[in-house]
Amino acid sequence: MGVLTFIAKRIALYFAVLFIGLSITFALPRFMPVNPIDGYIGELQSRASATIAPEGLAELRKSLEELYGLQGSVFEQYLAYMKRVVIDFDFGPSYTYFPHPVSSMLAEALPWTMGLLMTATVIAWCLGNTVGLVAGYFYKKRAASILEFVGILLYPIPYYILAISVLMIFAYIFPIFPLSATFPVGDMTWAKVGTILYNSLLPGLALVLAGFGWNILSMKALAIATSEEPYVTFARLKGTTHRTRMLRYVFRNALLPQVTALALSLGVIFNGALLTEIIFSYPGIGLIMRQAASGGDYNVLYGAITVSIIAVATAGLLIDLAYPLLDPRIRHK
Amino acid sequence: MIELNDIVVSYRTGRGSINAVDGVNLQIPEGCIVGIAGESGCGKSTLMRAIYGDILSPMSLSSGTIEYGFNDSSGKPVTSENVRDEWFKTLSYIPQSSMNSMNPVIRIREQFIDFPGTDPNKKRVLEKVREYIGKLGLPAEALDSFPHQLSGGMRQRMMIALATFFQPNLIIADEPTTALDVVVQKEILLLLMELQEQMGNTILIVSHDMGVHYQVTHKMLIMYAAKAAEYGDSDSVFAEPLHPYTKMLIGSLPTIGEDRARHGIPGSPPSLWGDLHGCRFAERCPLATGLCRSQEPPLVEHKPGHFAACHFAGADLPDTGDAGWQ
Repeated sequence: MGVLTFIAKRIALYFAVLFIGLSITFALPRFMPVNPIDGYIGELQSRASATIAPEGLAELRKSLEELYGLQGSVFEQYLAYMKRVVIDFDFGPSYTYFPHPVSSMLAEALPWTMGLLMTATVIAWCLGNTVGLVAGYFYKKRAASILEFVGILLYPIPYYILAISVLMIFAYIFPIFPLSATFPVGDMTWAKVGTILYNSLLPGLALVLAGFGWNILSMKALAIATSEEPYVTFARLKGTTHRTRMLRYVFRNALLPQVTALALSLGVIFNGALLTEIIFSYPGIGLIMRQAASGGDYNVLYGAITVSIIAVATAGLLIDLAYPLLDPRIRHK
Repeated sequence: MIELNDIVVSYRTGRGSINAVDGVNLQIPEGCIVGIAGESGCGKSTLMRAIYGDILSPMSLSSGTIEYGFNDSSGKPVTSENVRDEWFKTLSYIPQSSMNSMNPVIRIREQFIDFPGTDPNKKRVLEKVREYIGKLGLPAEALDSFPHQLSGGMRQRMMIALATFFQPNLIIADEPTTALDVVVQKEILLLLMELQEQMGNTILIVSHDMGVHYQVTHKMLIMYAAKAAEYGDSDSVFAEPLHPYTKMLIGSLPTIGEDRARHGIPGSPPSLWGDLHGCRFAERCPLATGLCRSQEPPLVEHKPGHFAACHFAGADLPDTGDAGWQ
């Protein structure tokens, strides 16, 4: 199989996944027994003590249906929905912040969430793998078990406890960081960037600590297994240095499953967004989703879910495309 | 000449120390292929590792010395003290499983230069290697491929290229053909013999395949229960074995055109944990007497260059009575 065929197949699969994901997102709310427009009109009616004339109601229903893309048969709605989402990336207006469009709300929140969570995930991955590699490669040495101990210690602590502990220690007991950080919005200046970075350190630290332990443990296990491979033994008998064996032999081979793990954790970074953003009052997509869920803001939820689907599928695509670069056995099939 | 002076190699275990090689004295002349044979657990692989200098805990060279009879680049004689610095300089190693002895994710050419070796100019090394593998019947492009792109035979050729291109004085091959089919096995053995003839170096081959030893080796060492049982020129060892163990070992081999029933050697080697006195083969030996059970036979030269450790070296074995078979 040529490289081009591989890429073409993988990209086709990517679009298939997106299509199925978007279709499910479209279908799921429509299985619910409540109609959001009925609910909205009912609410208006009760507020206006049922004084709205039936013609006015019909008009209102029509314009609401148009606004929320609910006119016509389910199939027509589906086509219109796909067209809006795929071509215009338009999810309609937010219900809570009417008429603010959902797409611009997401666009404002996404860089915050992605910036913090992706950076933290990547740092945790790099640090965890480095520590795990050293701990695994020198697993017979006593010092290596101390490194592993860090992983065993951190891994089982639930994230929210870790986050609150970090906040207690570094914002309350030793007030190095603000307890409730503020994040300036609007045009960026260097001073603002500085404040943002400074205030992001604490949530970042909590995220790194939470992701770090697992990476240590899994890399350590992989590194031990790999260093027992005949090619590592033979490399030792060739007289290669520890450094060469650790990096070019053990790390390069143990890296492959870890890259998959990184892709998966990048795909689900939005899972971690909610708690981080609540605990550290960090402006991002997690907070928006929470508000949307509690306020019944369907359009925002659609938008957020769609963005998650795209993120997971894209992370998978990028890793699958990068994998042949790391593993020649896939490249030369 | 490589000299093993009464070497004892032991493994430290939870139950105490065990000698896997227990006092082996050997002189290996320069420029010959020496085969080492014996049952599993007889200490042949341990002896190889000790000679290569790959002594890692829990294994240790508890007594004895090894002198290799050649010098390192600074002119100092190589001994068991400094042999580890000589890996892939004056001595090299051919591993058992060529299938997984190469790193699957880096190109083969990188694996020719990622160790200190003899020449710090890696570009020049690669040029030489490129030329060299052609002589071994490998296409030059094979050097730029990844291990999984080569067949098993090509990979083992590559391992031999890797172990020989810098012309080492000593090559240690641990079951170099075990994982290959017989046709490829023969090619690889012929290649090794040809290279040895050109370079005139010493090769030690461990194999449990007596056929391989018969085809390839100049000298044979038969080991039994951590000791050398018989050592001598292969022709002599195969034609007129002196030690009953060697006789029975050779007697158990099938030959073409003969339909005699084959006999295994009854019993099993003694546990190295036990209280070992007398000849270690006595329990399985049809010739054993009280002398054998009480006194350990030393390795003595019975014929020029042919040593055996047996009180009754050369005596005929009693007829095992396979007439019942026919």
